[in-house]
This record gives sequence, C-alpha cells and structure tokens, in this order.
Amino acid sequence: MTAIRRVLFNLFAWTVVLAVAFPLFWMIVTSVKPQSELFRRPPTFLPETVTFEHYWTLLTRTGFLDYFRNSVILSVATTLTVVAIATLGAYSLVRFRYRGRESLAFLVLFTYLLPSVVLIIPLYLMLVTLGVSNTIFSLVIAYTTFALPYALWLLRSFMAGIPEDLESAALVDGASRMGAFRDIILPQLLPGIISTALFTFILSWNEYLYALVLVNSDAARPLTTGVMSMLISAFNIEWSLLMAASVMMSVPLIVAFAFLQSYLTSGFGAGGVKG
Amino acid sequence: MSLTRSSSGGITRRGALKGLAATSALAALPIGARAQSATTLRWWSPQAAPAQLEAYQAQIASFEALHPGIKVVFEKTSDEGYAPQLAAAFASGDVPDVVTHLPSFSVQTYYANGLIEPFDEVIEAIGVDNYYPGANEVFRTPDGKHCATGIGNSAANALWVRRDLMADAGIGKIPETWDELRAACQAMQKGGIFGAPLPYGRNGMTSLIFIGFIHQAGGQVFTPDLQIALDSEATRNALEFYRSMRELCPPGATNYSWGESLTAFVSGATATGIYTGRVLVNVRDQNPGLADQITCATYPRIATDVAPWTFNDFASVFIPAQSKNKDAAKLFAAYIFDPPGYIKQLHAAPGHVLPVLRTIGENPAYLDNDIIRKYSAEVELMSAAAAGGYNLGYESAAHQSNAKAGEIIAAHPIADMVQRVVLNGDSMDAAIGDAVKAIDAIMKA
Amino acid sequence: MAAPRQTALERQYSLLGLMLIAPTVLVFCAVIVYPLVSAIYLSLFSVFTPTLQGGWVGLENYRSLLGSGEFWVSLRNNLVWTAGTLALQVLFGVGMALVLHQNLWFRSLARSLILFPYFVSTVVAVLVWKWVFNDLYGILNHVMMAAGIIDWPVDYLGTMPNAMISIILVGAWKYFPFVVIAVLARLQTIPEPLYEAARIDGAGPVARFFDITLPQLREVLVVIVLLRAIWDFKEFDLIYLMTGGGPVIATQTLPLLVYKEAFALNRMGMAAAYAVVMMAIMLVFMVLYIRRTRERRP
Repeated sequence: MTAIRRVLFNLFAWTVVLAVAFPLFWMIVTSVKPQSELFRRPPTFLPETVTFEHYWTLLTRTGFLDYFRNSVILSVATTLTVVAIATLGAYSLVRFRYRGRESLAFLVLFTYLLPSVVLIIPLYLMLVTLGVSNTIFSLVIAYTTFALPYALWLLRSFMAGIPEDLESAALVDGASRMGAFRDIILPQLLPGIISTALFTFILSWNEYLYALVLVNSDAARPLTTGVMSMLISAFNIEWSLLMAASVMMSVPLIVAFAFLQSYLTSGFGAGGVKG
Repeated sequence: MSLTRSSSGGITRRGALKGLAATSALAALPIGARAQSATTLRWWSPQAAPAQLEAYQAQIASFEALHPGIKVVFEKTSDEGYAPQLAAAFASGDVPDVVTHLPSFSVQTYYANGLIEPFDEVIEAIGVDNYYPGANEVFRTPDGKHCATGIGNSAANALWVRRDLMADAGIGKIPETWDELRAACQAMQKGGIFGAPLPYGRNGMTSLIFIGFIHQAGGQVFTPDLQIALDSEATRNALEFYRSMRELCPPGATNYSWGESLTAFVSGATATGIYTGRVLVNVRDQNPGLADQITCATYPRIATDVAPWTFNDFASVFIPAQSKNKDAAKLFAAYIFDPPGYIKQLHAAPGHVLPVLRTIGENPAYLDNDIIRKYSAEVELMSAAAAGGYNLGYESAAHQSNAKAGEIIAAHPIADMVQRVVLNGDSMDAAIGDAVKAIDAIMKA
Repeated sequence: MAAPRQTALERQYSLLGLMLIAPTVLVFCAVIVYPLVSAIYLSLFSVFTPTLQGGWVGLENYRSLLGSGEFWVSLRNNLVWTAGTLALQVLFGVGMALVLHQNLWFRSLARSLILFPYFVSTVVAVLVWKWVFNDLYGILNHVMMAAGIIDWPVDYLGTMPNAMISIILVGAWKYFPFVVIAVLARLQTIPEPLYEAARIDGAGPVARFFDITLPQLREVLVVIVLLRAIWDFKEFDLIYLMTGGGPVIATQTLPLLVYKEAFALNRMGMAAAYAVVMMAIMLVFMVLYIRRTRERRP
C-alpha cells in the first residue's frame, strides 16, 4: 500500500467510525448545553457555554441515584447467582457423563434463544401469586430466565476449551473431583468467568421489558425504566437532562470498556459464533 | 363476561393459578422478601413536575409530623403510562394506597371493576359544603356512592396564542371558528414557526383532544344512553379539519403527546398551543421572553352556533380497594386538601390545576400569587370553562356515566382512527367503521 | 475424557455430575419450563388483567387471533423489520470487519468506538436517536436542511415508510458490532498463504475477497445470520421505545402486540396465545440454528 492510499484509507475508515460514534458524541455534547441553547435553531455543534447543571439536577432533584442503586444491586445479585449456578452446571455438562446430559445441553441452547415475551406473562402471574412482585428480588428471578442460559452457554464453551490432561493428572495423584475443580479448573476458567460475569452484568443492566412489567414502585425500579419515565412526562421534556442521564447510565460500561475490553471480545466468540 | 362477580361455582382463574404456582419449585422461596412497614402509604400521581414534587413533599412532611406512625412515599406515574402500570398493580395486588390526578373516566372504569374503595367518608371529612356545587357529580357511581373526589379542574384544551405573532400577521381577534383558526395558523406559519402543535400520535392525548373536536363539530362519541354515535357527519367534519391542520403542525406532531405539544408552544416553535394553564409557569421558567405575549381562549369550533366544549379530565383522588392501609390512606387523602398544603400544591403550577373547593378558590392566600394575579383574566376564563367541562366518561350533563371510557382511551381506537385518516390517507368510512367496531367490542366485553 | 474403569467410581462421578447440574435444573424448571407450560395453558383462557378473573375458552383465542388482521399485519412487520435490519447488520458488519482487519491508525480505539453501540443500553440508544431525529431541534434535520437535501424537517418516526426505515437503521446501528467482532475473529484465522497464492495468480483485492475471504467466512456467517435473525425477531425494547408500534400499527411487531394485549387491552389469555404463536414461528429458526451448532460440535 502506498503512503497516499494508506492515508486515504485511514481517512475513509475513520470517517465511518466517527459517523457510527456520532450519536454518542452528540449525547455528551447535549448533556452540557444549557436549556436555552438547546432550543436554538439551527442547533450549535459545540456548546457555547458548558454547564454541568443538568448533572447536578439529575443527582439532586430526580430519583436517578435510587434507580442507579437499584440497578447496581439488581445486576450484581443476578450476576453472582447466575455465574455461580452456571459454573457448576457447565462443569457438569462438559466433564461428566450421565443420562439426559445431551437433552439438558439442548434445553440450555433452546432457552438461550427463547423470547422473553413468551415467559413474561406466566412469570408475572407466578411472581404475583408468590407475593414477591414489585421487588428487586422478583427482577433477579426474572433476569435469571435469560441470564442463566446465556451464562451456561458461554461457560460451557469456555470449559470445553480447557485441556483435560491437567485435571486427569490431578485425579491420578489422588485429588477428588471437586478438589481438582477448585485447584485446576477454576484458575484456568477464571478469564471465562470474568467474561461471562461482564456479559451477564451488562445484560441485566440494560434489561427493560421485565422491569417495565414487574416493577411499579420507585423503591425497586432500575435505571432503564426509571430514566425512560423521565421522558414521558406531560409537563416538560428536558433533553439535556435525559442526555445527562444517558451518559451517567453508561458509566459502568465505559469503565468495563476501559479496563476489561479483552474479556468482552472473548465472550463474543464463546457466545455461539466461534468456529 | 361479568368482571365484578367471580365466576359462580367454577374455580376462579386466580385460584387455578395459585394451584399451579403451589406445585412449582419456586413456592419454596422466601415470600417475606418484601417486608414493608405496615403503615407506609404509597402515593401515585402523573402530575410530578419538580415544583409540584416539592409541594407534595412539604405536605407529606407535615402529615407525617401529625401522624408519627405513618410514612408516605410519593411515586410518579405518567399520563400515557398509568393505565398499564395500574393494570399490573391491580393484578398483582401490590397497589398504591392513594392515587391522585387521574381522570374521572378512568376512575369510574376501575370502580366498575370493583378495584376502588368508595370515597364518601373522605368527602365528608373534607367537607361537602366546601366544594363548588356539583363538583363531585362526575364521581357519582351507579350504586349511589362516590368513587373519588376531584383534586382539581383543568381546561386541557384551551387555545393558547401569541399576541406578537398575531399582530405581525395582522390578525385582530383570537380565532373562534375552525376556519379562522386555520387561516390564522397559515398566516403565522413562517420563519421556522409552525401554526399549531396538535397531537397526531397514537396515544391518550390524541384521543382526548380529538373527542373535543368531535364535540366542537356538534357531534358526540356516545348518545346519552351510551349508544355509539361516532359515525356521524360531525366526526367526518372534525377529521376533515384535523387533516387540514396537519401541514400547519410540526413534522413530529405524529408522535406528540402532552409534553411535546406543550414544549413546542412554550419554546416558541408554534404560534398557537393547546394545553392547560401549565403554559403560564413553563413560559415563566423556560422562555420568559414570551410572558407578556401569551393569552388563551376556549378552543375554536366549527361554527359559532356550536357551543365551546372544554375537555376537563376532572383530576381525582381515589383509594384502591386492595390497599392494606385504607384508614391511613383516607386520613391522608383528606389531608391533601388541608388549605396551606393544598394551596402550595396548586401554586406549583398556577392556573394548571384549578381548585375544586370554593373555600380555596376564594381564599386570599390562594389568590396571592404572581401568576394568578398577572393572568387573572386567563385563569378566570379557564376556571369557568373547566367547571363547565366534560370528558369521555361524562360527555354532557345528560349523559349516563360511561364506565368503559377509561378502557376506550387506553386502547386508542380514536387515536387510531385519526392516524389512519390523517397519516395513512385511509377512507373515513373505513376508519370510522373500525373505530366503532373496536369501541363496541370494549363496550360489550 | 478418559473414562474411569471402575464402575463404582463411574457411578460416583455421575452422581456428582447430577448434583452439580441440580441447581441449574431446579432453576430452569421453576423459571423457564413451568412458565412456558403455563403460557400455553393460559392461552386457553380469557383473563381480564386487572382482576385476573376469567374463564376457559379453549382454542377460541387462537381462532380469533388467526382471523384478526392485526396478527398478520404484525407478523408482516416483524418479518420486514427482521429482514431489513439483519441485511444491513451483515452488510455493514462484514464491511467494517474488513476495514478493522487492516492496519488502521489507532485500531483499538476504533474498535472500542464501533463496539460501543452494541453494549450501550437500548434505552440510552433510543433516547439519543430520538433526540437526533427530533423534528424541531434535531441535528439530523438541521444538517440535511443545511446541505440542501431537504427544505422542510422530515418526520422520521411518525409516518410510513420513514418509521420503519428509521427503526431498521437504528437496529442496524445498535447490533452490527456483533457481526463485526464475530467476523473479525474469523478473518484473523484465515491463513495468509492463501492470499499470497492468489496474489501470485494475479487476483485483485475484489477477486481475493470473493475467492478466498467470502468462502472462508461462509460458515460463520450462516451462524451469525441465524442467531441474529432469532434475536432481531424477538426485539421488543428498541421498537417499543422508538415508535411504540406506530403510526397506527405500521411498526407493531409480535412482541409489541403481546405486550399491548396483556397490559393495554387487558386480555392476558389472548396475549399468551400471541406469545405461543410467536414462539412457534421462531422455532423454525431455532431448530435450524440448533442443528447447525450440533453438526459442528459432535
């Protein structure tokens, strides 16, 4: 490739990349514009005055922090539950033999693809009957329906990638199965577990439908439905506030991106598209 | 299907579900995960602008000081979202204890399904004589009780205009007929400003506002004995006019509901507006440059011989029947009307929610407000219009109360009809015919 | 796996295996299998949502569903949306993967930026796009007017065919990074000598793409298409939040219809029937995908 072609190619590629990223740039820009500048026509590309008042309003005068706390509790609880169950389950599915194992693997895959809208009505009725609807706990149960198959499928694939000889050697040396699991498998599976945990966390963090149907109280409402309810108000639409909320809501993601990106990409491969 | 009675003899649906759940492994999970203090009241309202929230918090604080055993938690819902939220809440039995600012027709629908506690005790506690005469008529139920009381009136379809733009366009008087309104909007639509922010979305606002247009054309959705009367010349005229206004509304009006429509006028993007008195406080806060230019009138109609028709949602206060703290809820519901707190609440959006208590409307403390003083003519006009206002549950004084109105609004057949005619260019006959069918199905369900 | 000889140890192991899988099976039965079965059971009832009262109607829900125009319209919308957004995702995703496979300046930054839409919450994506699409203050209308492409703001979400095109585009924007990453991973495993050989034979870049890259990607693309078809078909959040199914029902897909029946029209049994039918349709894709995966993992 000659130098000029190389420059042209880079220019082209970066134009496309920036176009894709433009909505995110626009979100940040809007969030620091004062309300008066927002109603300006034509709009200003870069803010003439930079203000953080919307962030301040968001944190002090709305329920944002409560929603944020709920989202954190909810996503962490879901992730811990699901990853714990799925690690054991994946170990069993990959390294043990018993009747029904194949059918179970098939069931996992099937539920991995199942639309949540099919489960939502009976799940809703079930949680109502149990008297746990409208709590963070009920959302953890509901999120398990999509997070557990997902985590199992991911971990199953990571587990299959761990060579068996080390484990066999440990068994020959007299280690118990669980001992070998703890000392040999777990350390090797750790990157896979982190990757799975990240994906599960992000899935739970971003979930909307179950939160919409199962929770109607601010005490349990997560960010997705909480922020959306700021938009549908009859008295005002404050775009800059909504954009500030969007930025704040993406903070955990940005953190994950900054420090854990390789885990995110490796999870992709395991998610069913790896050759 | 009878909704209020549980099916006689046979197993009820809920029972069957319980049985199903009991056999599931989940039945073993801890049920007490949601341990709530016995006297926490949940208060829902779609009216939750920041200033209103502050007023509510003040009311809650003074109520809690008076009743140390009771805590009140406010939770907002929304005009377009309360129907599915409450449906889910009623189904789960985990309901709010006090709900305010929902339109009367929805409340009647819930009452007819046995979901609401009769409200007469609270009305007694507030004081029957303190109300304007007839203020609670709209909440009277077929069994002779009241399902709720009014927390405020509103003239939701007031016509808002800008004097500066009218003067620029050489328009001498505020439009009274549709033709005048259209001509005025055409004259004022220039330089990036649109004529009107009429809603064309598939939502409650479009249904509610368009019902107003049907009446402003001399028509009605139901006859007084609740036969569907939608298929009429008046509906066709209203659709025709509404269609002709499309080019005078912002492009995005196809998704407008209350918030978008209001913001379009307040930000100066449209020359006229259609909203309650909330316009006043929003203009003061967000676009004070317009404060001296705006005024309002009742919305124009097809001809001056048709009486104006103001849409008043008769914002309510009610208590769900499944509330576990009914006595505390009743105490609090009555306390909402305690003058200092209630006035603060009304002042959070002056002219938006208009008092239903005569004793408040005449109270010097209520009248002592910058906006109410500055716009006294507008507030008076809206008060009078709202007091004589109607809605789908109560289309005229002669109409029987329509217990299905809430479901009709929630299912959007009227907004669908508007969208099909205006946006899709479907034939009016087909669109009206399908709307009649959909409404009929709801009435018969 | 080295099969243990002793049957006692074997039995002990399979017991341990069962114990390890037990929590999974329990949770699966409770929150997936049981709701799935009761969804089918529920679809035979007529249930009024707020009171949960109702009665047995047998197959009546299914009969009225298949006879209603709304079901077929929603199904058609669902197929249009799935096909449209999927096609764009694949086209754009493969293209982007080829670009990112090259030696780009700041490649890892570019990759992060491309990946972000996929991980960002749908709620955030929808809010941002609604703001970009805004009729009065939206940047897109402004840019297009300034460029002279349009002289009047466009209504992107409220009229047809704009609304469908808009959600398809936003869907493509949100989900194409999935294709990028999957394809990129495969690209990196194509042996370089294949390209060398082609180059010696005088094949240009285009010929190399069609003769080498595409055949090598075939396998992974089939899997991607099936997987994304399933996920796009069941998409709820994005469409519900962007257009709510409007104008009228022009962008209403089956998942939105299920939600509407259950919580706006208060007909839970009917909603369950729609959900069951939707699942039946999706089973076609699922079976294809599962068979595909099984072939490759004997």
